[in-house]
Amino acid sequence: MSLFVLLAALPAVYWAQPVETAPAVKQAGIERLCVPPETAAAWRSAGFTVVPLAERERSERVKVRAPGIAARAEVASASLRPWVFANGWRFLRAGAGRYWCDVPARQAALAAAEAFAYGADEVLAIDPAGLEDLGRMLAFLSSLPEADLPAVADVAVQDDGSPVVGEVLNLMARRNLLFKVGRDPAPDVTLNVRIGSKEFPRKEAQNPEAFALSVRRALTDERRSLRLYGSEAVIGRLARDASRARLHLLNYGGRPIEGLRIRLLGGWAPGEALVFGEGRVAVEDYTIGAGATEFSLATLGPYAAVDLRTAN
Amino acid sequence: MDRRSFLELLAAAPLASSLRAETVSPAYKVVSRYAPAALSGMPGPYPGRVVSVKSPRCLDAAGRVVDVEVVREMMDRGMRALTGEATVLGAWRRFFEPADVVGIKVNAGGVPWVVSSPAVVAETCRQLMAVGVPASRIVVFERFQNQLDGIKYAPHLPEGVTVFAAEKGNRRTDNSAYDPATYVEVDFFGEDDTRSNLMRLVTQRLTKIVNIPNMKDHGATGATGCLKNIAYGCFSNVARSHSRGQTHTLTAVGTFAAVEPLRSRTVLQIMDGLRAVWHGGPFAKTERYVFHPRQMLFGTDPVAIDRLLLDIIDEKRKAEGAISIWDRSPKYLKFNDAGSRDADPDVNILIREPGHVEYAGRLGLGVADLAKIRVEETSV
Repeated sequence: MSLFVLLAALPAVYWAQPVETAPAVKQAGIERLCVPPETAAAWRSAGFTVVPLAERERSERVKVRAPGIAARAEVASASLRPWVFANGWRFLRAGAGRYWCDVPARQAALAAAEAFAYGADEVLAIDPAGLEDLGRMLAFLSSLPEADLPAVADVAVQDDGSPVVGEVLNLMARRNLLFKVGRDPAPDVTLNVRIGSKEFPRKEAQNPEAFALSVRRALTDERRSLRLYGSEAVIGRLARDASRARLHLLNYGGRPIEGLRIRLLGGWAPGEALVFGEGRVAVEDYTIGAGATEFSLATLGPYAAVDLRTAN
Repeated sequence: MDRRSFLELLAAAPLASSLRAETVSPAYKVVSRYAPAALSGMPGPYPGRVVSVKSPRCLDAAGRVVDVEVVREMMDRGMRALTGEATVLGAWRRFFEPADVVGIKVNAGGVPWVVSSPAVVAETCRQLMAVGVPASRIVVFERFQNQLDGIKYAPHLPEGVTVFAAEKGNRRTDNSAYDPATYVEVDFFGEDDTRSNLMRLVTQRLTKIVNIPNMKDHGATGATGCLKNIAYGCFSNVARSHSRGQTHTLTAVGTFAAVEPLRSRTVLQIMDGLRAVWHGGPFAKTERYVFHPRQMLFGTDPVAIDRLLLDIIDEKRKAEGAISIWDRSPKYLKFNDAGSRDADPDVNILIREPGHVEYAGRLGLGVADLAKIRVEETSV
């Protein structure tokens, strides 16, 4: 099996442990692995679907940081404003990219969900202690109904390939500003952004956080397809066509979030959420009106997908 | 009552020059389906009126042990003086009836040294039950469970009274106890989560609220009393109003307190000033800045009480040789440096906004003009 096919549905797991660990891997429900070439035969004999991954291919992949959060004291209050480590902006910027992530045990489930939500060609080299969590997440992701829908973008960012654009994209993603990346302006978005233009001077991008805020101001909150309330540690990815939508919700905070509030532009019927660790649950406190739909999720672990259909 | 009303408040009311506000006021959008009561709880039937009751015997000499009987007598005096009723029961009946579901908004932020005293809260429960409100319809509440855990109200309260917290701690992960349909939307500093929601307990269960704040210094508001306890103590996601040395509490405190049904249902203010903190507030993790006014204030007007509080805190600071709560000089500002603030009373971590009291007065929540505030003083 080619790595491409293996990755088509779920992120790939790199497992460098000896084949004696096969029972634990099977116990976790994982049946497909990327392994060092010299161990491939043994793993096949143990009943696994394997893709040998040589050192060269491993090293060619772009290494990304494991997704998660670093709390930092913010100003004078007792509150914490999180610093989120997320990779979605990289996946969007280079859709054909190939990635590698060394994943600590606690972040295994989130890393798998992140790769899945963005359809990234990513290999996850997990800490063996994260095997069970990872297996549970992979089983959950594979149980989701198929939803091959186009991603929503409110903003198109013209990318010159520079690091400064990358940092701007990173901060835009963290603010849940839905964007796509291209070399030219896009006709189908609300706002086009070219760093270096009169509206978005390059020098202002030296502070990417402030720059992302200026993009948000230019777009306006009212015209944003997605708003999240109740956490600054959740990043959403929205895909939709004329009749249905899927919202991926990735919680980078490491703690369950209760009562996350979601606002989507447009009229959507009350949908159902597929919440990792909870299963299929109805959305709560649903409202529709004023050009938008709102609802809450009772609880959100590392990942949920919300499937919606347009309201009649 | 079912009509969803959108109230646009452009928080740009002209400010007295003495406030010297240096920040641009944000635009607030208040979303609530609740209409004001015929007689709003704040400022209520006694605007501009405050009863002060002092007793040197309410605490032991060290200021640590509360004398429950003396506190009870202070509260009896205060309530009768406020209402003009001959009996304590008559005084409480002015505000409550047996059918009410009553919330007691305590302040646990100053744990362990300066919090709403269990003796005051227990006596409030006792008087509500004397009116006929069953214990099962009395809820002692605060935002954060981890702060309540440090006080342990339950053993002091009548059996059946509920102690409730909306969140486990100040971690921004628990939103379920807040009403998604009742909120203030405002962008203070470009934060992405621009909503602060009112507790479901307030919107969906309580019919009346007793507010029991403390006398405390506050790094953002200058002092924190009735207004901030009821405003920031009932809404989610409020700490975002401070950032990098600036705070929008000047306008936010009054704006939140004025949201219905919070404004209409908060019918009684009992300020617990047995103990107080003159620096480092709203926290009181050590006794270094704790002092002992041995005083309680009673009223229905949170603005009038808080206007007196500003002077109580500021005078104590002056007596201790510390800078005034009104001092806006950048030379005292070390933002993000709570350690320096805790070590030095002449360090501010934000430019304080004691003008929030006057601003709340402009919103109609009460009387801020000292010349118009009538204080009746008594002692036990």
